[in-house]
Amino acid sequence: MNPDMYKKLEDTIHYRKDIFLLTITDHSDSRLIGSKALLHTDGKLYTHSPLPADLKSKLIDSCHKFITKKQSGTVRFFCRNEMVECFAEYFPAPLHLIVAGAGHVCEPIAKMGKMLGFYVTVIDDRPEFANRSRFPDIDDVVCESYITYFRNAQITDKTYILLITRGHKFDVLSLTELLNRGENPAYIGMIGSRRRISGVFQEIRKDYPTENFEHLYTPVGLDIGAETPAEIAVSVMAEILKVKNQKSGYSLSEKIKEQAKKGFREGAGTWNKYTL
Amino acid sequence: MEQIHLIKRSVEIMKGGDKAALATIIRTKGSTPRKAGSKMIVYDSGRIEGTIGGGCGEAEVIEKALEVIKMNRHSQLQIDLTKGLFYEDGGICGGIMDVFIEPL
Repeated sequence: MNPDMYKKLEDTIHYRKDIFLLTITDHSDSRLIGSKALLHTDGKLYTHSPLPADLKSKLIDSCHKFITKKQSGTVRFFCRNEMVECFAEYFPAPLHLIVAGAGHVCEPIAKMGKMLGFYVTVIDDRPEFANRSRFPDIDDVVCESYITYFRNAQITDKTYILLITRGHKFDVLSLTELLNRGENPAYIGMIGSRRRISGVFQEIRKDYPTENFEHLYTPVGLDIGAETPAEIAVSVMAEILKVKNQKSGYSLSEKIKEQAKKGFREGAGTWNKYTL
Repeated sequence: MEQIHLIKRSVEIMKGGDKAALATIIRTKGSTPRKAGSKMIVYDSGRIEGTIGGGCGEAEVIEKALEVIKMNRHSQLQIDLTKGLFYEDGGICGGIMDVFIEPL
């Protein structure tokens, strides 16, 4: 692939859009084998190598099913009576993790978010916290007010939001903006003690008296006794994975123990699922 | 985003002049260690980056990739993992996968 095409591929993923990379893996004209093109989800094709026009339109038609199915696959079709094989590789837009509050807990959370494949944005209104030198490997480091950020941020069902700001005032501001928007992010988590949480709820109920906060995860994280920033990051990211993968968050061994008592006979299938 | 990292590496290799090939799984049937899209870069020294499934068939792919580098010509290879259930190095697989190998 040439650098221009790679840049386009990377940019598309950066802007959190799905894209396909097409490679011609078989063709009777061997010069065409290895040719690459990018297929956007709106059906637009970008290519650098000079492909015949009819081949291009056949490529778009034949690969359209992968856009619908949101998965990679290989397709064979005929073009001018010649068999063509094309591999369409799916690059789903990464999930977006927004961490509001760039303090000490944010550092391991943002790092771990990257490790887990999230596109990570860190936002804080203090330049001494929200800056590149503190977060060199994070996708976006934004320094602006929480209100402005949450008023304009793109929020979809692929967005995971963590509120770990320095004070409950900022959590209230952020949450209110999010409630105003009426969007449905996959996860909103808010750090805090019982006192802080009840304070936030009281404030919010002034504007949203019927809000039941059911979609809100607070305090954040799974119950593993986390205390240090790194431990909190493990607990919080484990909860986010649990939500993303729609799992229980229990120890895997618990289920196995039940099955072991029954001699594994009933749960053989499940056992395989967990060990693979 | 491991796959995109390997694509990035292959773009760098094409610019930098190292001799290497990129192997990509394009089709799988049955139980294979990795899915379609998994990639591995093979250098002419035999060094690899990324994996298309560990011991299961990887040696065959490396051998073919060295040939691809030498001939500077694309190739496809079918790896049949259904024959030996237990590979010497412990991999347990039972599927078939098609691998596309391109010179960089």
